[in-house]
Amino acid sequence: MRLVPLLLQLERRPGPLRPQILAALAAHGRPLRWAITAATADITSEAPPDSVAVTRLQIEAVVLA
Amino acid sequence: MSAAAGAGAGAPGSPLPTLLVVPTGIGCAVGGYAGDALPAARLLAAASGCLITHPNVMNGASLYWSDPRIHYVEGSSLDRFAAGELALRPVRRQRIGLLLDAGIEEELRWRHIQVADGCRATLGLEIGPVVITDEPLDVQLSLGASGVSWGELGRPEALLRAGRQLQAAGATAIAVVARFPDDPDSAALAAYRQGSGVDALAGAEAVISHLLSLELGLPCAHAPALGPLALDVQLDPRAAGEELGHTFLACVLVGLSRAPDLISTAASGSRGLACQPADLAIDAVGAIVAPAGALGGAAVLACAERRIPLIAVENPCLLSVTAAALDLEVIHAASYSEAAGLLLALREGISPLALQRPLASLRHGMNRSLPRP
Repeated sequence: MRLVPLLLQLERRPGPLRPQILAALAAHGRPLRWAITAATADITSEAPPDSVAVTRLQIEAVVLA
Repeated sequence: MSAAAGAGAGAPGSPLPTLLVVPTGIGCAVGGYAGDALPAARLLAAASGCLITHPNVMNGASLYWSDPRIHYVEGSSLDRFAAGELALRPVRRQRIGLLLDAGIEEELRWRHIQVADGCRATLGLEIGPVVITDEPLDVQLSLGASGVSWGELGRPEALLRAGRQLQAAGATAIAVVARFPDDPDSAALAAYRQGSGVDALAGAEAVISHLLSLELGLPCAHAPALGPLALDVQLDPRAAGEELGHTFLACVLVGLSRAPDLISTAASGSRGLACQPADLAIDAVGAIVAPAGALGGAAVLACAERRIPLIAVENPCLLSVTAAALDLEVIHAASYSEAAGLLLALREGISPLALQRPLASLRHGMNRSLPRP
């Protein structure tokens, strides 16, 4: 058993946030402690003017691997 | 009906079980130091009649407060409670096993054992047995990309072996003390003692108690073992609780002494305890209170999924993970005093919106216009 620190960037999809984060963490191990530590709305300069911003989430975590 | 709510649960004025979350290691102005969210917790417990919160809120090293309306639940267990995976069963007392890191020097180890003896003799707590890990736990401290406090454990299996030994010996809760690295001259420690920056120890502490509680299914809490510090006459009052004695253990023992049992809501719990109607479950929770800039934790998001009213309190911290950033519906409070008023309103069945001005007319939410008279 190892405790592995993680830093993930996640693009938010529609629907509840927690299952999205747990699914992303599960790819690395069993989540032990995690939190969203930043959330930013992101529109690229190439996007059309009426584009909806994408929320990018920064997740910091420790998982059991 | 829940144990906390009792007869008449749901009636106006009956207790409103409430979660209070102040994430550890993010430098909250209230709750980022030595149990300095405890006055707020006491106020919210009085307002709600039933408060579920975690050790970071309640632990003031040598200082503590015991209130039968407050349920002391370790952070990862609180997350699982919010997710509906655990229920809480109040108990008269826990039998607290004491788990000591083999990395603690002999003199410091004796100091901790004497604190435990003091809590037995003076407070009447049931403590024992004591187990020392079979190898040092090797705690390492770190900061995340955001500046939040994190940490790792070099030998997690040693922690779990000792925990299982205590559980087999009859412990129903575990107080764990790990040797943390001393760094008395660091800028981070100086800043913390003077009331700024983050608690550098908090992240590793959370990882230790999360691991133990998750694996064993028992109430757990952690106290770091550290060498004494030189006097700092500039000490911030919020950090003073940690400078009164040789250990941070007393508050952990008191908190755990009446921590509720953790009951799996799955058909067969890991400890063979079946959920009973009197257990406190997330369905009974009427509100959650969290810092307005730290809404990205598991408990808050789980409650948001259940549409439990979320009171976002102005409590400056390192993070800016706000309701707007996450598209969450919240009730704003400028302080914990205001949050207490809002809890009282919810408890009495008064809509918090009715207390705000301007109060928008219902006509703005209609699906079609009515002709004017």
